[in-house]
Amino acid sequence: MNINTNAAAADPRFTIEGCLDSDKEAIARPTITYAQDAWRRLKKNPVAMISLAVLVLMVLMALLGPVLCGQDYIAMDPVNKNQPPSAEHWFGTDLLGRDLFARVCYGARVSLLIAVVCTLVQIVVGSAYGGIMAFFGGWVDDIMMRIIEIMRSLPYLLVVILVMMVLGNNIPSLLIALCVTSWCNTARAIRGVVLQLKNAEYIMAARTLGASPGRIISRHLIPNTIGILILNIATSLPNYIFQESTLGFLGIGLESPNTSLGVLISLGQASMEFYPLQLLFPALVLVLIVLSFNLLGDGLRDALDPRLRK
Amino acid sequence: MDDLLLKVEDLRVSYHTYAGEVQSVRGVSFDVKRGETVAIVGESGCGKSVTAKSIMGLIMDPGEVKEGSHIWFEGKDLTQNTKKQWRDYRGNECAMIFQDALTSLDPTMRVGKQIEEVLLVHGKASRAEAAGKAVEILRRVGIPNPEIRVREYPHQFSGGMRQRAMIATALVCGPKLLIADEPTTALDVTIQAQIMDLMKELQKDTGAAIILITHDLGVVAGIVKRICVMYSGKIVERGNSADIFYHPHHPYTWSLLNAVPRLDLENKQSLMTIEGTPPDLLDPPKGCPFCTRCRYCMPVCREEEPPVTDFGDGHEASCWLQDERAPRTDAEFMHNLKKQENKD
Amino acid sequence: MQTLKYILKRLVEMFITLFIIATATFFLLAAVPGDPLESRADRLPESVRNNLYLKYGLDKPVLERYVITMKGMLKGDFGESVTMPGYDISRLLKETLAPSARLGLQTVIIGITVGLLLGVLAAMFRGTWIDYLVIFFSVLMISVPTLIFGLLLQKYVAGRLHLFPIIGWPKGKDLWLGGWKYTVLPTLTGCFSYIATYSRLLKTSMLDVVGQDYVLAARAKGLSEAQVIRRHVLRNSFIPIITSLPMSVAFALTGSFFIEKIISIPGFGRYYVESVQSRDLSIVLGQTVLMAALYVVVVFLVDILYTLVDPRIRLHK
Repeated sequence: MNINTNAAAADPRFTIEGCLDSDKEAIARPTITYAQDAWRRLKKNPVAMISLAVLVLMVLMALLGPVLCGQDYIAMDPVNKNQPPSAEHWFGTDLLGRDLFARVCYGARVSLLIAVVCTLVQIVVGSAYGGIMAFFGGWVDDIMMRIIEIMRSLPYLLVVILVMMVLGNNIPSLLIALCVTSWCNTARAIRGVVLQLKNAEYIMAARTLGASPGRIISRHLIPNTIGILILNIATSLPNYIFQESTLGFLGIGLESPNTSLGVLISLGQASMEFYPLQLLFPALVLVLIVLSFNLLGDGLRDALDPRLRK
Repeated sequence: MDDLLLKVEDLRVSYHTYAGEVQSVRGVSFDVKRGETVAIVGESGCGKSVTAKSIMGLIMDPGEVKEGSHIWFEGKDLTQNTKKQWRDYRGNECAMIFQDALTSLDPTMRVGKQIEEVLLVHGKASRAEAAGKAVEILRRVGIPNPEIRVREYPHQFSGGMRQRAMIATALVCGPKLLIADEPTTALDVTIQAQIMDLMKELQKDTGAAIILITHDLGVVAGIVKRICVMYSGKIVERGNSADIFYHPHHPYTWSLLNAVPRLDLENKQSLMTIEGTPPDLLDPPKGCPFCTRCRYCMPVCREEEPPVTDFGDGHEASCWLQDERAPRTDAEFMHNLKKQENKD
Repeated sequence: MQTLKYILKRLVEMFITLFIIATATFFLLAAVPGDPLESRADRLPESVRNNLYLKYGLDKPVLERYVITMKGMLKGDFGESVTMPGYDISRLLKETLAPSARLGLQTVIIGITVGLLLGVLAAMFRGTWIDYLVIFFSVLMISVPTLIFGLLLQKYVAGRLHLFPIIGWPKGKDLWLGGWKYTVLPTLTGCFSYIATYSRLLKTSMLDVVGQDYVLAARAKGLSEAQVIRRHVLRNSFIPIITSLPMSVAFALTGSFFIEKIISIPGFGRYYVESVQSRDLSIVLGQTVLMAALYVVVVFLVDILYTLVDPRIRLHK
């Protein structure tokens, strides 16, 4: 370096010392990961947090409710039929004298179970199917896409009714019926993302730099698909709860003596004229669960959207 | 007639984000005379685009032009404009060219329509005349077969063509001021030169003043008369082209000049990079913003903002090195310059 | 020429898809244990029963029945209904399609119009109480099942307030343009989900577009906010809307199973559930093929629509 030091520079504040290494890369804002950032933004969304709390409450109720109220959900009591809510029977009793609170809790448990299992199957099968399609491409992709097209043009009710007729009226067959065609949309979404990634320049760059397939999958593929999957989960869960209840109402899904929110609503409708509360309670629980899922899903969508990152 | 077209006075713009107030522009002042070309140079994030948007009145929530900022255009303060006044001004008195023509043209609207739109909004032509004018201006910016091209969509144009179409859109109303925000950054080098030539030529014809915003000092060489070097929301050095290129006084300008690739330097003279990153404008440093990356940083730089030193003829720099107590240190830069001159 | 070839190729593909669907439907129905005549034929004497089986061809092995059914289908003959003597698919469609189509159209028109208006409002007044109100209602609307809406409206608006009939649907000369009071509740019940879906869809799409450079460029041209929205934002944000419209209409036309059941509307959807449950092959096959055909045609239409609304997309990839 060729620096003329001037004799006049007596003031110590005016001596050149260059930049400090510690200063150079000093970054004022702490770096945060995608997940941390999403979680931070979700936490700031009061609606989403309230929904989350309601959901946790509902799940706890579904799991512990029958224990808490000390009532059995199938024990009939011919004396106490169609009771209004009381200290003993929190939601009252139904036309066979069964405790409605215990029944709603149990029904919610079944409905949630169905929703969770179906969503899980949908996500796993859909991701695998979509991933394979995009990965192999060519004629494999063509044929697998054709299969999806055919699945999607089969009327949903046809499939559900027939599966229920062949396998009988119980929870496992309802699970199968709901899962048969559900994964198609997930598969298409995943295929789209993977295809996009396959052609993305930064993946190409990672490849040329010698990144192993394992690394590409774990560092690029999963982080990029996880957002779509989370949103898929958030919209699928309430959707299955809906489907179960509407099928139950149509007399296609679960039927008494099985219990689920759909069955309870269907029974409630039968006695709606004189005992509207028997419809109201299960319907209210259903709406609360679905509403919180949807609001949480909305919040998640906003939180996961990288374009909103500031 | 007054020679002064635009005068920006103490412009301050902040963006309100989750983390707090980011002060993107922190007291910028400069002026533009009629028909002249001024360049604002700086690296990304230094506030040059925000400055441009403020002049167009396009700062929107969560951005805010702070109280006390003034933008005088032909003697009128734009910051006091009503919405209607802004609309009449935008695209008519002052037009803007954006960096990426592909995303800045509506993909679903024919190119001709997008040009006609400006004319119609400002009442410069009837519907019937507008179509003819669109063809005319496209021909003027050097697009072949403009009669056919007006009916095409932006994606049918090549990159350079799209930028030409953007320029046509900006110039169709004959604005007095054209703001070009990185007009050539997204283009190939050969096309870059063509676009710059086109702008120079059009300026000669129309007499519009141009504010050229770029991060590349190489682009502005030979085109602009005056240069403002911006760093972290402030103008750190300004002057006419010759002063900035041959007698720069701010270490940041030295680094920028050293970062311009040159054919005339010896091979072993590698390109200089500026190490580190600019300060976060969420919490601007109280001293000189460049102090964290400056090789000549002194203790005083970290504590106090450097005063403006005037070298005459509009050449100013804000740097403590110009203080009489500081050592003289532009030696390294001058050394490079000498070496080059000797070679010539 | 290339377009013609493409359309021809798509038509052949559609035909194959429909064939596979019909086959799948046939074998799925055949896989269900028992047969549709069981309950009816149980108490009949042996000879009558045999005649009945002979009449519907149910005495033959599955594969032979499949060939007969498919041959008939190609000629447009789906066969007579087993559970509703005297009915075949064309007579059933004639009677049930009109109520379903009217209900569907009313629902879709009202639902989508209101939904889009709310979506524009929410996007334009983003972050204000209007936005929050629209969000709240649209989330609420998709969170309350259609059937609960239906039941509540039926019980309170029709049952208690007697504003509208509880069940029923206009018949005869009122089939298309009369008996409005019957159609109010089912339409209202059905349109909520469309309002919710479309307001959210449009709002998301608009917010996407508002962030684009060309919107900023349009403002820089001196367009007013209303002009920017009308000329650039709406234009571009309608692309996803226009392409999802046909599917909504198609689904609406074939009826809503739940609403038709709650309000006792003699529509397409209700009969579909009933005929599947009674394994009435000819009816199920006819309805399934019709719905699948509607679906594949709409998918094709959407592809064509894409090229019309978005000049960047070409028909043959």
